[in-house]
Amino acid sequence: MEGLLAWLIITLVKILVILGIVLGIGAYLTLVERKVAAHIQRRPGPMVVGWHGLLQPLADGLKLLTKEDLYPRYGNPFLYNLALVMALVPATLVFAVVPFGPEFEVLGIKVKPILTDVNIGLLLVFALGSMAVFAIALAGWASNSKYALIGSMRKAGIVVSYEVVITFAVMGPIILAGTLSTYDIVQKQIEQKLWYLWLQPMAFVVYMFAMLAETGRVPFDVQEAEAELVTGFTVEYGGMKFGLFPLVEWYIEVLSLSAIAVVLFLGGWSPINIPFLGFIDPLFFLGPLSPFVWFILKVSLLFLFVLWLHWTLPRYRIDQITTTAWKVMLPLTFVNLVLTAVIAPLIWR
Amino acid sequence: MPWAKERDFEELKVRFKGLQIEEKPTLTVVHVNQRDLIELLKELKSMGYKLFIDHSVVDFPDKRPRFQAFYILYNVDERKRVVVKTWTDGVLPSIEKLWFAGKWAERECYDMFGINYEGHENLVRAFMWETYQHFPLRKDFPLEGYTTEYLPSLNEVVLDDNLQGLMNYDRMHTPVPTLEDLEITEKKRLKKKAQIVLNWGPLHPGTHGTMWFLFDLEGERVYQCDVILGQLHRGVEKLAENEMYNQFLVYTDRMDYLSALCSNQAWVVAVERLLGIEDLVPEKAKYIRTMMSELQRINSHLLWLGTYALDLGALTIFLYAFKEREKLMDIIEGITGARLTISYTRVGGVRMDLPEGALEVIRAFIERFPKELRDWETILSRNRIWLRRNVGVGEISKEEVYFYGLTGPVARGSGVPYDLRKLEPYDAYSEVEFDIPVGENGDVYDRYLVRLEEMRQSLRIIEQCVNKLEKMPRSAPFFAESPDPKKLKLPLDGIGLKVPEGEIYSSGENPRGELGFYIYSTGGVKPYRVKIRPGSMYNLCIYPRLMKDRVVADAVTILASLDPVVGEIDR
Repeated sequence: MEGLLAWLIITLVKILVILGIVLGIGAYLTLVERKVAAHIQRRPGPMVVGWHGLLQPLADGLKLLTKEDLYPRYGNPFLYNLALVMALVPATLVFAVVPFGPEFEVLGIKVKPILTDVNIGLLLVFALGSMAVFAIALAGWASNSKYALIGSMRKAGIVVSYEVVITFAVMGPIILAGTLSTYDIVQKQIEQKLWYLWLQPMAFVVYMFAMLAETGRVPFDVQEAEAELVTGFTVEYGGMKFGLFPLVEWYIEVLSLSAIAVVLFLGGWSPINIPFLGFIDPLFFLGPLSPFVWFILKVSLLFLFVLWLHWTLPRYRIDQITTTAWKVMLPLTFVNLVLTAVIAPLIWR
Repeated sequence: MPWAKERDFEELKVRFKGLQIEEKPTLTVVHVNQRDLIELLKELKSMGYKLFIDHSVVDFPDKRPRFQAFYILYNVDERKRVVVKTWTDGVLPSIEKLWFAGKWAERECYDMFGINYEGHENLVRAFMWETYQHFPLRKDFPLEGYTTEYLPSLNEVVLDDNLQGLMNYDRMHTPVPTLEDLEITEKKRLKKKAQIVLNWGPLHPGTHGTMWFLFDLEGERVYQCDVILGQLHRGVEKLAENEMYNQFLVYTDRMDYLSALCSNQAWVVAVERLLGIEDLVPEKAKYIRTMMSELQRINSHLLWLGTYALDLGALTIFLYAFKEREKLMDIIEGITGARLTISYTRVGGVRMDLPEGALEVIRAFIERFPKELRDWETILSRNRIWLRRNVGVGEISKEEVYFYGLTGPVARGSGVPYDLRKLEPYDAYSEVEFDIPVGENGDVYDRYLVRLEEMRQSLRIIEQCVNKLEKMPRSAPFFAESPDPKKLKLPLDGIGLKVPEGEIYSSGENPRGELGFYIYSTGGVKPYRVKIRPGSMYNLCIYPRLMKDRVVADAVTILASLDPVVGEIDR
């Protein structure tokens, strides 16, 4: 009975911490994005609200929340609102299987900093990732607007193509680790003294491509495409409802997929890796906090990389994106899969 | 002057009876009977007069037949122009088989004069809505409005609210389109053949203004496309007939609002040529005008580059380009006192001398600018995504350039070296060195490269102008002195400027193509008829052809590469 109670409390705390971190950071990433974009474009960015615009996300949120709640006259209100839920919930749920650090002990209780260490963690991630397409298709359909419909159909096309690609891309690390549990994949990398990035560079590149495509970041932001489709499927949304979609797509999904990338390819919370020899930890002075800092550092680096691309590149056309997925990315992942299947037993058995 | 001579048409005189050739110092006219018109135009086209420049009519209410129609053609091999004229009482044969651009010009004439074109495939109004009853450019169009019509205010239409006092526009006597009218207009333009008709515009960020495109979509593929113009129609040609020559100058600012100085220059050069005082304009004024309009050209191309990159999703280039554009705007503001609608040139010179330090600032800018340009090219020109979006999209062949009457960077992108700064040099262009960049394939990417190179060539011109201007004494005149003030009054403010009888077609090289002015003067302080040849409009007329079987994503690419400005299209 006590064990159950402790487990309940711990789980509750975990949920609160993860939700707080994800949503809080998600909001503040808007500021990061604006600042990064501004400095790429040689301007200061938000400077007025708070020190260097630190309170800007709060001001924006307040503005969005106090706006009039509108919905299209001939749209379907139920589906219109359901789309929001469908967008937010699966994207946030992915964090349930993201391991933030190694196991530690508090008051004699062992705590894994992961909400549920299920043994099919990765499967869950991609199952939830596929749910994103429902949100967008619903949003486009319920808005009763041609622009929204075209935008959502584009996005559906991309997600369908890249779901296949991303699933095959992660096969390599799964074969190397021999498990689907995210926590165990990291453990395996630490045991084998090897980030899977070194053995799976091709899979990593494909994964990053697919991640950009699924989150609708430049160069794959065809479903937004301000110039052609105004803002695509969000065109009929207003206020915070409008704000939620970019928040989910551009920040929460990018964060969750970056975290999964770190888990799969960059050794999770482990410090800098020298293949097969061991790890070097320049942050050793942080003691038990160091793994968490490493994890956050790696995720932030990937996130900044995405931002860098976003504010530099032009965008592809929809047919070019799907062509790349089916004709380039998918064969690459197949080759990678076969190679891994052949090489992995040679190394470890 | 690149005008054809009488001897060029000796053979035609034998073939066509009643063919009269009139050689004036300002232009050469071939008069022909209406029934021989199409045959003559065909013959001229086979003689090399392939590029369609302009067509319109002049209204003489007292004469029978009433309308004088003119066609301006350009010989691409021998580099000369000719005007073909004919008289009509309201019916003309259509030239749409010969030149597609003629189709749009004919629609405009149908709209403005009520001329019916036999054999025109789709004779709909160009600018006004379909249910509009009147013909605005006819001389008998009442300027005060039709007393039977009245202009309801928006409140009246939407809220059924009769406003009193000053807010009551009852006395305006002008019809306005209702939503039903617009629906009729839309239905008449495009018969739905595919899945959905997407209204792209009139207010849409991708159209760079208020253009209304109709895409008939099959999935994302555009099955057919049409354009509804006229959202920014202000009747500039009608205004020109009722304003003095100097007063009309300010309307040229508002046509192509992104290159006001070039439009100003084209207008004053046209009037100067009509007056025959081109040589009287002092050298300093010529160099200042040339320099300023090249600055404006860079300014305009920067806006194009920024918005073009923005359309393709490269958000950062937009701000880079605007930063440089801001510097240019500051320079222009410092010299002329205005940023957008400038009206700096005057008939006979410029409004005022360069301020102190202007040349140093311009020199600093042109030294800095090539580095920025190189930076942007590093980001874009060899970028794989950029190439995939641009190469092979919207290809225009040389023959299509002539058929659709394209000019400016669009024509040059297809390898037609049509540049009025070389062909009919005005102001100081004959004295400066520069090259005309041309493309090879005529796709969007070539037009992009041509425009970038044009900016470099503009820098060359500016540098030469600055060198020349630095050597000129400060006391040098910047405005022409009339040789005989009794005969020709030439004031700085332009009030009282009288233009003798005559006609002229004169054009300038705008950043968006040839901006031509056909001025018909019957003497006095006001022109009798001004036909403006808008480069943007004829450049846009190829758009439905280019959009066929392309996806919506290419719509922005192709449209931005044609770079139309609605103010100039609609006038």
